[in-house]
Amino acid sequence: MLTLREIEAAFSRALLGGDETLASAEVLGNSLAPGARLQIYRHHVFTTLTAGLRATYPVVCRLVDERFFGYAAAQYIQRHPPQGPCLFEYGASFPEFLAAFEPCRHLRYLPDIARLEWVLHAALHAEDVESMDPAFLRRLPEDELPQVTLRLDPSLALLSSRWPIDRIFRVNQPEADPGTVVNLAAGGVHLEVRRIGHDAVFRALDRATYAFRLALAEGHSFEKAAATALALDDSFDLPAAFEALFAEHLAIDFEASGGRQGNA
Amino acid sequence: MAAAGRKPITDDGSHGVPPAAGIGLRAPHVDEILTTCPAIPWLEIHPENYLGGGPAGRVLEQIRRDYLLSFHAVGLSLGSADGVDPRHLKRVRVLAERIEPALISEHLSWSTAGGVYLNHLLPLPYTEESLAVVCRNVDQVQAALGRRILVENPSLYLRFRHSPIPEPEFLNELSRQTGCGLLCDVNNIHVTAHNLGLDPVAYLKTLQPVLVGEIHLAGHARNDADGQTILIDDHGSRVASDVWQLFSRALEFLGRRPALIEWDTDIPALDVLLDEAHVAERYLARAPSGDSRAHAA
Repeated sequence: MLTLREIEAAFSRALLGGDETLASAEVLGNSLAPGARLQIYRHHVFTTLTAGLRATYPVVCRLVDERFFGYAAAQYIQRHPPQGPCLFEYGASFPEFLAAFEPCRHLRYLPDIARLEWVLHAALHAEDVESMDPAFLRRLPEDELPQVTLRLDPSLALLSSRWPIDRIFRVNQPEADPGTVVNLAAGGVHLEVRRIGHDAVFRALDRATYAFRLALAEGHSFEKAAATALALDDSFDLPAAFEALFAEHLAIDFEASGGRQGNA
Repeated sequence: MAAAGRKPITDDGSHGVPPAAGIGLRAPHVDEILTTCPAIPWLEIHPENYLGGGPAGRVLEQIRRDYLLSFHAVGLSLGSADGVDPRHLKRVRVLAERIEPALISEHLSWSTAGGVYLNHLLPLPYTEESLAVVCRNVDQVQAALGRRILVENPSLYLRFRHSPIPEPEFLNELSRQTGCGLLCDVNNIHVTAHNLGLDPVAYLKTLQPVLVGEIHLAGHARNDADGQTILIDDHGSRVASDVWQLFSRALEFLGRRPALIEWDTDIPALDVLLDEAHVAERYLARAPSGDSRAHAA
């Protein structure tokens, strides 16, 4: 006789589309075969998880159509089932899955559209934080400022693509004009995604501002972030870029040499 | 047989929730409820939908100012042989400390095995081994939350070859050993009884009335599977007439209890849920008081 842990492992395998011999052997058939009874549970697992992915990735779904999305989602669910019960956290690796999924490899912009949809979704559920008061930085000795690192709004994501994914996204919204055509050769974009109020939004940034914010988001110092931006654009307005971090409430905390922190 | 009970049952588990009909709060109705403030005695939410940041949590803060709330958890996986995920339990605890729900409930089922979450309330064989696992998990959850929880009977589509303990007896014993209360889902009893060929009234009579702190009501679907009619607990329609009749019998045995309308598939206008709640209220108005039963132990 199987232990409960073995039964649960057997059910888990069977309900994710794997071998169901062991699970079936534990189930009484009566008027309906064990396999048909397990199928009722399997159907629920796949339909509810597919519905969750469809809600997170509506533009991907529209681009590939419902039936293909259902097929891709089923493959994804089998290989990457949820790791926890908060379904708003499920599906982070779907863009990487799509990038490697042979049947849609020809839609080369599709993984980047999926990445954009994921960071918009994640921004909506990101931790609530207060932005920091720049007065904290003014109290630092001036020579420490170049080495300061910032903690940025956790809803922020910076995403670049060689495809015009912002336009592809917009023309695939329900209210968009279905006649609009996007020129895929129009070039790429550098996008900033954030939650503003109750909404997750994105906008395009110039290359240098994007690089400046990305360096800070990756934990680099002001000095390093500034050098990265200036290397791309020697007319980059560093004081304005610095002020904008606070005016836009992007910075939530800082760390200076000696371990001094904004909220300490 | 199992060890003696560790905690005395000192209340009916309803913690101030009135014996009146509430509804499950669903996202499409939130704005209307916040704007029109309809008279609803209490609302139930799934805490798993509110464990991140952003607008969801802020909405919950607004709702709790005007309505009594209950947490109906779906992800604690009380039947997992691997145990309850302590990180998830901590997140539920932190939310409960912030929102202070009047009730917290979960299901007699499992959804997590080997670190994989299957997003379904999956069945357990009712054995002494399962009872020990569920008791250990309920103890852990109640200790972390610092309160009694209610455990709900699931809808079943299969029976295990080896499952010697009838479900209502399993629930009674779970309560005796852990001090948890029970959430009697009348629709689930109807669905399970139909699918497994059981007598729903006999099931109800076996549950100890004193343990039941809440009743759930919902619609189900009738599906054909290989020529057999199987009832599916899809929460996608009005409560079926058979289930209202069973509700009426449940109230005879249990006395008046907080009751809740659940609707999760093809969610209709808020008015439809409120109308279902009004029907439930009419049954509750005719029911005997639950007080004597609740405090009889």
